[in-house]
Amino acid sequence: MSAQLPASLSEETVREISDGRDEPEWLLETRLNALEALEEVDLPDVIQTPGRRWTDLESLDYEELVDPLNQSDETERVTDEGVHVLPFTDAFEEFGDVLEENFGATLDPESNYLTALSTALFTTGTFIYVPEGVDAEDVKVRAEMNSKSLFSHTLVVTEQSSSVTILERIESGAETEGDRYFSNLVEVATGENSYVQYGSLQNLDDDTYHYTLKRGDAGVYGTINWIEGNMGSRLTRSDVETELNGDSSETQIVGAFFGHEDQHLDLNARVWHQAENTTADLVTRGVLDDEARSVYEGVQDVGRDAWNTSSYQRENTLMLSDESEADASPKLIIHNHDTEASHSATVGQVDQEDLFYMTSRSVPERQARNMLVEGFFVPVLDEIAVDEFREDLEELISARLR
Amino acid sequence: MSSDQNHLKETDTEARFEFKKEQNSSFQAEKGLTEETIRVISEDKDEPEWMLKRRLRALKQFQKMPMPTDWPGQPDLSEVDVNEIVPYIRPDVETRGSVDDWTDLPDEIKDTFDKLGIPEAEKNALSGVGAQYESEVVYQNMQERWQDKGVVFMNMDQAVQEHEDLVKEYFMTKCVPPSDNKFAALHGAIWSGGSFVYVPEDTTVDMPVQAYFRMNSEGMGQFEHTLIIAEEGSEVHYIEGCSAPKYSAFNLHSGGVEVFVGEDAHVQYSTVQNWSKNTYNLNTKRAIVEKNGRMEWISGSMGSKATMLYPATILKGRGASDNHITIAFAGEGQNIDTGAKVYHNAPDTKSTIESKSISKDGGRTNYRGLVHISDGARNSSTAVECDALMFDNESTSDTMPYMEINESTVDVAHEATVGKIGDEDIFYLQSRGLDDDDAKQMIVSGFIEPITEELPIEYAVELNRLVELEMEGSLG
Repeated sequence: MSAQLPASLSEETVREISDGRDEPEWLLETRLNALEALEEVDLPDVIQTPGRRWTDLESLDYEELVDPLNQSDETERVTDEGVHVLPFTDAFEEFGDVLEENFGATLDPESNYLTALSTALFTTGTFIYVPEGVDAEDVKVRAEMNSKSLFSHTLVVTEQSSSVTILERIESGAETEGDRYFSNLVEVATGENSYVQYGSLQNLDDDTYHYTLKRGDAGVYGTINWIEGNMGSRLTRSDVETELNGDSSETQIVGAFFGHEDQHLDLNARVWHQAENTTADLVTRGVLDDEARSVYEGVQDVGRDAWNTSSYQRENTLMLSDESEADASPKLIIHNHDTEASHSATVGQVDQEDLFYMTSRSVPERQARNMLVEGFFVPVLDEIAVDEFREDLEELISARLR
Repeated sequence: MSSDQNHLKETDTEARFEFKKEQNSSFQAEKGLTEETIRVISEDKDEPEWMLKRRLRALKQFQKMPMPTDWPGQPDLSEVDVNEIVPYIRPDVETRGSVDDWTDLPDEIKDTFDKLGIPEAEKNALSGVGAQYESEVVYQNMQERWQDKGVVFMNMDQAVQEHEDLVKEYFMTKCVPPSDNKFAALHGAIWSGGSFVYVPEDTTVDMPVQAYFRMNSEGMGQFEHTLIIAEEGSEVHYIEGCSAPKYSAFNLHSGGVEVFVGEDAHVQYSTVQNWSKNTYNLNTKRAIVEKNGRMEWISGSMGSKATMLYPATILKGRGASDNHITIAFAGEGQNIDTGAKVYHNAPDTKSTIESKSISKDGGRTNYRGLVHISDGARNSSTAVECDALMFDNESTSDTMPYMEINESTVDVAHEATVGKIGDEDIFYLQSRGLDDDDAKQMIVSGFIEPITEELPIEYAVELNRLVELEMEGSLG
């Protein structure tokens, strides 16, 4: 079912945004097409089991949340040698062709209602271009949301045999009245034999509804590693997806979340194996406290032509409170028998024996529990290549435990 | 290959299930489903008024509910047109109700069950046997020593007459209401036959009771209802077997099973289903388990064109436990969508689900499961394990587990693996002198062993034979 189109949305709004940014004609076209598509496309699918819809996106008041003309953000971009890290507005002149070719190619703006809305209205985001053979570390984008609603679009393009490590950090800045909405689309297109690690750490305030779709297209021998950290927001719907389209391509989707109070986190990791000799590894770990609720779906889809596939998935949830709720659905869809695949999911609490061991060594119970929770995240933290990201995440986790 | 297996191969396994009989019936309802049909069936069965009312209410629910079409990856049910099936056929048996001696049955019915090996199994391994042909139970017998202890095993229609109070209380009221799903509603409207099992307190029925269901006519639907009530401290093992010959028109099987497991009671329900490959098998099976009770579902789904079956257990009392073992085998043109549902509604409850599936020649298997742990079900634990084996690249294997956890002091684990038959395993066996086919058969037999070892030996052999039949000649 489609959501109601907010009244503040019209062709003029979109033209005004596009004009203000001095955009080329093709981008305005893309935006207008997305606006038109809003009439037809549905909200993203959410899991339903008998008597229950796991996340209710329909009841969000988009009319109230979407304020397209007053978007404001403060974004700091740190680049590394040889890499171009630019706001779109600065990239049209030099990289117009690359942009036109890749924008919306990996992530179809008309995938669903929320992507179409985001494409029609985005005013911030980053274009990251890694030329052939460049090895770059420590590309950082730190964004602060200062308005009621904010729509962001990030496009990463890597050429042959390049590599890049990107950290994106999203926080709330200036306070506003009432609920807020942040939409973050990220698309990554990799050239042959290139490597991308894209880490995203979200710590929005507890009035913010957060939607993110991150989608990568891995080419021959390409690798896309996602790290998705969700700490903040009132409600998060996150989809992190990789299409393994090139032979021998790889992907890793690592997730960490920590929900507290009445946060609702709907986290999805999906991979499509479409070529030969591809590998995927999905690892998500999360903690729930207070009345927080998590919904996890992991999909490993092995296509007919994906010979010699390896695909693994693990999800672990730790519940600290009796009022919290965890739902999990790891799915395997296999069309090729030359596949080695596994998935697993667990839900549990802090191990009583571990806790006893530590209290018997005179560590106070609360501290012992906190140490065990921090330890629980270690397998995920180990996957993070950017020191700053790891340290930030550790800090946020320990702050939440105090 | 061992001589034992050669012997099995020489038996005419195919002929045992595929034979057809002339369609002889004394009463056949019109095709389709109207209030009139139901009144006629109910009248023919001489049912009390309340049962007719329940049927009619279920019919209304059926007409209101939409067909399930939006489950991801579900079998295509568009061919299932209830107006095209014959809902009720009473075979031509002279005595009304069932007989308790095989020799009293008309020759062609007796011959059917002889071929299926039922009377032979009764002699050797079973406490009681029921046999349903089309819509009616034609044979029902139980060893005297169980009867003396108050164990009841009779056909469901007879139970409506003879145990009216129990049936009235338990029949599609507390466990599977007709409103549960469209096919449960259909079942509630036109059910016929099936078994009623009552085991009194502290009674252990140490040999299994068995019911065998056979559809012989083309284009019919079979809707048997099984109600098992196991009182406190009792124990019983119920086995059902199903088969039908293949016709060009589709057949529909939509059974309903309700199991009440009392305090400290233990019920095992085993099914080996080998419906013909034109049968839609859409069942609703559910158990409610009281304090410290134990429910076990063992299911082997080999036949049918499409199966949608998710035996459910509601762990209602503290310390109740559940064990699901399912195996699905999908060959060409088959879509076996099966799994398990467990609701943990009390503290200290346990469940384990073990699912194995094999797909080959374009067959499709899907594990679909739901484990729900309610708020307050402290110290519950559940472990789900799904393994899938794929033979070729035309086949599909999906795993879609759902877990809803509303309680923190729990232990939940789900694991699944998918793999192909290992070339190395085959090479090993071949190097020991087995040919390719035998090596694969042996690996499959090993793969399903956790299921076969739960069944009485006759059934285990049966299941192995079916698997061999499925595998025969189809491997290069």
